[in-house]
Order: sequence, then C-alpha cells, then structure tokens
Amino acid sequence: MSAHVIVGASLAGATAAITLREEGQGSITMIGAEPKPPYERPPLSKAYLRGEATFDSALVRPADFYAKHDIRTLLGVRAVRVDTTRHFVELEDLRRVHYDTLLIATGGRNRRLSIPGADLDGIYDLRTVHDADRIREAMNHGRRSVVVGMGFIGSEVAASLRGKGLDVTAIDRGKTPLARVLGEDVGRSIAELHRAHGVRTVFEDSVAAFEGDGHVARVVTRRGVQLDCDFVVAGIGIDPAVDFLDGSGIHVDNGVVVDEFLETNVRDIFAAGDVANHHHPLFRRRLRLEHWQNAVRQGAAAAHNMLGQRHPYDEIPWFWSDQFDVNLQYVGFHTTSEQRVVRGRLNADGYLACYINDGKIDAAVGLNRARDIRRIMPLIRSRLNVDLDRLQDESIDLRSL
Amino acid sequence: MSAEFVSTGIETADFPTGGLALAEVRGTKIAVANVAGTYYAFDDTCTHQQCSLAEGDLAGTTVTCMCHGAEFDVRTGAVLAPPAPSPIRVYRVRVKAGALQIEV
Repeated sequence: MSAHVIVGASLAGATAAITLREEGQGSITMIGAEPKPPYERPPLSKAYLRGEATFDSALVRPADFYAKHDIRTLLGVRAVRVDTTRHFVELEDLRRVHYDTLLIATGGRNRRLSIPGADLDGIYDLRTVHDADRIREAMNHGRRSVVVGMGFIGSEVAASLRGKGLDVTAIDRGKTPLARVLGEDVGRSIAELHRAHGVRTVFEDSVAAFEGDGHVARVVTRRGVQLDCDFVVAGIGIDPAVDFLDGSGIHVDNGVVVDEFLETNVRDIFAAGDVANHHHPLFRRRLRLEHWQNAVRQGAAAAHNMLGQRHPYDEIPWFWSDQFDVNLQYVGFHTTSEQRVVRGRLNADGYLACYINDGKIDAAVGLNRARDIRRIMPLIRSRLNVDLDRLQDESIDLRSL
Repeated sequence: MSAEFVSTGIETADFPTGGLALAEVRGTKIAVANVAGTYYAFDDTCTHQQCSLAEGDLAGTTVTCMCHGAEFDVRTGAVLAPPAPSPIRVYRVRVKAGALQIEV
C-alpha cells in the first residue's frame, strides 16, 4: 500500500488529498504550516475581509472531513527538509514522515518591503486568514489606510476597505493598476473604477519610508508624497515557498520545476498550485500561476498522476477578481500581444479585450463579461486563427467564430 | 403542509430550448431550464456567492454560474464543479395549459 504525502494543507493540497481518497488506495498524510484546516483564499481580500463571510464558508471541506475519510493531517507544523534518497519529509519538530509519492503544494510567502520603517506596527500584508483577521482589527480602529501595490490583492483590498467606508490611498509603481498583467489601457479602466468609488491613486511612484513612533503614522513616497495614515496593507507579490527543498535534489527555478505531468525531476515527487512552475503543453512554455483554478485543477491532476495515470495537465488558465461592482475575469495566457481586439469600450462599464498573437487569441480579459469569457475559452484552446473583424463585432455570437 | 404546484408565470411558448428563465415564487428566486423540451427548476442563487444561475450558461443538463464557474446538474442540483460548496435545491415541474408550474 502506497504512502501518499502532501506538503501544504492548501487548496491544491486538500484537493489532491480528496482526489487520492476518492480514486486511490493507500495512506494519505497532509502537512500544513498553518494551524487551520485547508481553506480557500479568494474571500480573504473580499467578503471575509469585509466581514460578510465566515471562515467556515471558506473551508475546502468541513474541519472533521479529513479524519472521517482517513486523511491524516499534521497542522501547525512546518516541513523543513526532504530526503529523496530515503523517502521522508522531516518536520520542524524533527518527526519524519515516510512517503512513496510526494506532492509539494506549499504555495508562496509574501514579499516584504525592505525600506526604512517597514518593521513599524500597523503595516500588514495578506496571505493567511490570520493576516486577514489582523487587517480586520485595524479596520475597526483606523479610518485612513494606504494600500501599497495595485496587483490583484492590492486592488481587491483597496476595494474592500473603500467598500467599508475607509479612506484609501493606493500606490503603485506602474502607470495603472494591474499594468504588468493586463496592459496599461485595461489598467486605466481599473484605475477609473477605483477613483469613481473614491480611492485616491498614486501611480508611477513607490514607498520610500514608513514613519511613526512605534506605529506607522505616515507613508513617504520616492517622489515626496506624504500620506498620513492609521494603517498600511502591502500587496507586492509572493515568492514560492521552496526553502525546505534546499539540498533535496529537486529542481527549483521560480518555484518547483515540473513537467506536463506535474512531476519533478525526482520520480514520484510532484508539485501543484502557486509553487509549481509547470510546462504547459498548449502554450509550450513554463507557467507558474497564483490562482484558484490552477490550485484546484493541478491538485486533482497531480493526484491522478501520483496514482500512476500519466495525465498531462493542459487546462486553460482562468481567474477572477471582484472589485466594487465589477467582476473581472481573465482566461488564457499572454505576456505581450501584437494586437488587441476589444468588444465594447475600454471603460469600467464592461468590455471584453482579447490579446492576439499570430492571428490567434492567447488570452482575454472581461469586465462584467463573464459569459463572453466562457464562450471564448474554446477559441483559445483551439489555437486556430480567428477573424478579427468578426471577433470585434458585438453583434456576432462568439460561439459562431 | 402538503406540497402544491404554483405558477411560475413562464409560458412554454416563450421559452426556447436550451434556455434559462427566472421566476419568483413566494419570495424565492427560482431558475428554470429547458433541456430539449424537458423543464427543470432549481434555486436561482448559486451556493458560492449568491450569483443568479438564470444568468448563467446551460449546456445539456449542466448550468454554469457566470461569476466564478461553479457547475450544477439541473436534474439533481448536485455540484459538478467548484467553487460551489453545496448543492442547489431542485423542484418538480409540470406544464399546465402551456404554463410552467413548480411544486413548493
């Protein structure tokens, strides 16, 4: 009987554990650094942060599910080493857990600003429910907030804080929010959305220092803007959590490097979710994605392959972001685009923007265009050339292209 | 209390195959799907984040929530794809004089 071990009691890890239990034999052990049972992180910057959703509603499965289904959980304990020769994971309390197949689903750790005053109280970042609880506490006591970094987490946190009536100033190095991922003109529509809801924005600038006596009282930017505040939330990205793999022989480069089957260079060791740098067969390049769907689908796919099924993982990446009354969805993958075709107008009222290379749709982003996003998925998957005039014509059903 | 059939206000003549429609029955929003002439009724509210399933997409007997991609079987209410944490309630449907009624 195989011993399946999962490092990371995360969405990817839990999905793998559930899939292994449903479809395979053997023992299952899931190791998690956080003390909580596996939960979904999307609500942490949105409904949970605003106090509109409970923690229980974010659980991947009810807390007693794992014991009931004979899935052993070791929570609140960090894995510190993997011995790939003798097949065990060593924990920080020096326990050793033997494995036959191993899944790495440790996700990432938030980057921290290394600038003067970064260790003052009242400066938060957001990854765990514990982080979210600390920000909620700060929201109860302060009214003036500064959000540093307008990626997806920063943009959602800014929207949630503003939604609760706080003063919000958002700072980003780019010309717009989300410029790096979505491009500047799509980003401008997000900036417009935030400003329309009363968020003050500071772009093409970054934080030089935090000032205060023990607790942050002011943010000073490189361009000299001074912002008095009660607290700060920084969302400046994550680094994959791979420290514990040092010396293991498992290939690490921007996360755990895995092939199309989510397997590492070491046989029977797999990775899934934010930590996995995966070779995507459709896009023919490495992708390391930090999104919900990627965690769920890779978790399940890795479990299948841990059971010996050899299924390549080729899902089309997809994610959403809810900000104010806008539901943003993105599907596909692109870094640059030769052409961009827009259905509708590029403003916060809603549109679909398609990123085109070589006459093919690589990706699309929609604001309040969820139906279009669903319908364009097959066009992206097909890797066929599309008629761009028809793509732009709102009167033509995307399914007929 | 015994169940009874109540009008949805939806006429079959106005309801194309492959379509979804919304009805409000005694204060509850209920979605109805027309799967090749067979009608299925279920709670309109997705169990994930309360988006309307009548605003979703219907393919065969699967309804997909547009907000975050959860999928349900319209015949049973079962979750076919996350992020929905729990099934939706389903209702019996009958056609009377060209109008759809559901059992509540």
